[in-house]
Formats: sequence, structure tokens, C-alpha cells
Amino acid sequence: MTTHDDKDICAMESAHVESQKRRVVLSLRVNGQAVVEEIDPTMLLLHFLRDRLKLFGAKESCGEGECGACTIILNGEAVTSCLVLAVEAQGGDVRTVEGLSQGGELSILQQEFVFKDALQCGFCTPGMLMSARALLDRNPDPSDEDIKEGLGGNLCRCTGYQQIFDAVKRAAKREREELKGS
Amino acid sequence: MLSQFDYVKPLVLDQALDALSRDGDTYILAGGTDLLIALRHNLIDAKHIVDIKAIPELDVFHFEEGKGLEIGANVVVNQLIDSDLVRDKYKALYDAASVLASYQLRNRATLVGNLCNASPGADLPPALLIYDATVKIASSQGERTVALKDFFTGVKKTQLAKNELVVSVFLPDPGKDDKSCYMRQTRLKGHDLSTVGVACRLDGQGKAAIGINAVAITPLRLSALEDQLNAKGLNEESVLWAAEEIKNHIKPISDVRSSKEYRLHMAGVLLRRCLQQLMD
Repeated sequence: MTTHDDKDICAMESAHVESQKRRVVLSLRVNGQAVVEEIDPTMLLLHFLRDRLKLFGAKESCGEGECGACTIILNGEAVTSCLVLAVEAQGGDVRTVEGLSQGGELSILQQEFVFKDALQCGFCTPGMLMSARALLDRNPDPSDEDIKEGLGGNLCRCTGYQQIFDAVKRAAKREREELKGS
Repeated sequence: MLSQFDYVKPLVLDQALDALSRDGDTYILAGGTDLLIALRHNLIDAKHIVDIKAIPELDVFHFEEGKGLEIGANVVVNQLIDSDLVRDKYKALYDAASVLASYQLRNRATLVGNLCNASPGADLPPALLIYDATVKIASSQGERTVALKDFFTGVKKTQLAKNELVVSVFLPDPGKDDKSCYMRQTRLKGHDLSTVGVACRLDGQGKAAIGINAVAITPLRLSALEDQLNAKGLNEESVLWAAEEIKNHIKPISDVRSSKEYRLHMAGVLLRRCLQQLMD
């Protein structure tokens, strides 16, 4: 028997409603791969990633840029993909949580999230990781205040944030050490 | 979303202005942090979207000594925060930009968009009003410049016509010895809309200017209160007087964020704190 519960809720189709508008060709890079797709001009970038590319990491939660669950990195900047049209990413460079691991190995940041139990239900985690990634990219040695500011747009209802904080701090330290060592 | 729109991204301003003058159901997209929410909730029915991000004139972010700072329609809020010039010369604007929404949104949200959205509680307008900011508006018929204080006409309403676009905002050079700050009250720590926000400025001659949000149908510059305060001269006593008197110059409502009474009270508290900080 198949019930709703059997379905991976994270992989559910989005609320995108196809308009009757003429489709446009969208060409961009996603996690280093060139992607060319014909899309509806009214489609959100979040829905494009989930429905068309089957990248279910970015989550749709509030749909208004408040919760940060859909955070991705567009052209080097953390953005909420629920407030970006897919066509706005034309020619752009998109990074999602699926692009963080290398050759099947979790990135340092992801490893530290696991190590510090910086998640419980995991729904906010991809967005949290991408905000943290963008933060460490622009600031490899963030202060507590910098982390608060950098992750302030990502809500987590499970962890109370302390573990997330600790994970980001540990990841920052390890990444700096790795950089020195290389 | 129910809107069925087509999307264009012109490379020159004239093309954008032509598109705006052709069709009334055309909406301008810069950061999209307000527009996309309106589309999603079907608050607007857009037939055409004009993305202005590829128009180079709108990227302007330039200060000229003795003249002032021009901030183009494509300048996002995080650019203001990252600018030493804004922090040094227009501290209130830096303060207001720093508390606007969250980091991700500030990467997209533009200053001009914050003005055009015309929310009575928007954070940036008070910090611009105290600098006598002006707004440069273009249409296919030509250009005009209006004072920011006249730009807002009501809740979510501006004097921008359907065929017009805001090119940039201009802030005169405040000169030396100018100080300002912005303080606001919110329901919670972290990102929230302002319950009341007050921007104050003391210019080189020691004259005070006061801007405020979320206490009327538009953000306000409280010129009458400033005149009375400046006539008294700025001191500990006159600041306390102004913190009481401000209640006669604003008309807040009660809503989900606050009661009217709390807004009246906090307007006075924030005004006092701002002025005291600037006088220190």
C-alpha cells in the first residue's frame, strides 16, 4: 500500500503552475555543470532546481525569504532561491548543497555539522550550510557576531542554534588550517 | 503564482522605459524581494516583467566631494553596508541598512526598491529623509527630480507614474562634523519589521534633523518638530521636551506589531536615545 507517508516529503513536486507563456532557453552552471533547459519564464529558481534538476536540497518552506531553507549561492552570493526567477540566473553560476561534497566525501563544513549534531530534522540544514559556506568564503575567520549575522536569515526550530554555531566555528578553524597546510 | 508574464532584460535604459510606456501591466524587477512575494500572493497581476539589472546606468554608486552620493537603482543593501563612505558620511543609512531583513535578502534587495515599495515601516527612508535626499525619475518623456519627502503619497503608494522608473537617489554631501544614527524597536532580536524607527542627524552647525517610520501612512521628516527644537537649542532639557512633543507630530495605528500607545511612547524614547548619542 502506498500512502503519503511512504513518499520522501523532501522530494515532493513544488507548487509551480505552468503559465501559457512562451518558454525561454535558460543556460547556466549548476554545481560546476553546464545546464541548458527550456523553461517557463514565471518559474522560480527554487522550483527549477527541485522540479527540473531534481536537486531536492534547497527546501520550500515560507516562500517569502524569511526562513532561509531555500538558500543557495548564486554568483558567489547567498540568496533565497524562492525570491529569484529562474530566468534571472541566466548565464549565472549556482551552487547548491549537492555541490558541497567532493568525490563522495562530505566537505569539512558538512563533516562538522555531523560531528556537532548541528541538525535534528534536517529541513533547514541545506540552507544553513549554504549560508555558512557563503560566510566562510567571504570571511574565513568569522567572529561570533559575524556568524550570527551570516546565519541570521536561516531559521532552525530544532537545535537552538548552539550546535550550528559550534560546527561553523570548527569548520572555519579546520579550513584555515588546511589552507595553511597546503 | 497566477500571473502569466513574459520577461525581458534590456541592456539600455531607453528600452526599459519604452517597455514601461507600452503596457500598464508591466512591473520592474531589480532585487525582487518585494515583487516576487506580491506575485506569489497574487497581489498583482503582471503581464510583463522588466528586469533592470543589466542596465549599466542604474549601477551608479558614486560620491563627489562637495556634491554628494548618487545611489543607482541596482545598488543592493549589502553594498551600502560594505561601503566605508556610507559608514563615515551617512551613518544613519549604514545603521538602517544593517538591520534591514537578513543577509541573503540584502544581497538582492535594493535601496531604490525599498523606497518604491513605499512601506510606511521601511527602514531606509528615515535615514535618507534627514539628508534631504532627492529621487531621480525617468520616463520615455524625460527626467524629473523630486524630494524624497514628496515621493511617498500613502501606504505602498508613491508619486511614480506607471511609465516611470527611479534611476537613482541622491544624498547631498553632509560636509564635516556631521553626525547621524538610526535606531529602531522590533518585536524580537534578529530580523523583523520596524515597530518604530527613528533617524536623527546633527549637522556641522549643530542643527537637528529627524526622520521616522511606522507612525503614519508614509515615512516622515518631522520638520516642524525640528524647527521648534532647533529654536530652543539642543541641550539635555530640550531633548526631553522633544521626546514628549514628538507625540503631537505623529499618528501611529495599532496593528500586529504594536499598539498605537506603545508606538507613541517608543517614538519619544528612540528620539531621546538618538539625540543623546549624537550629543555625546
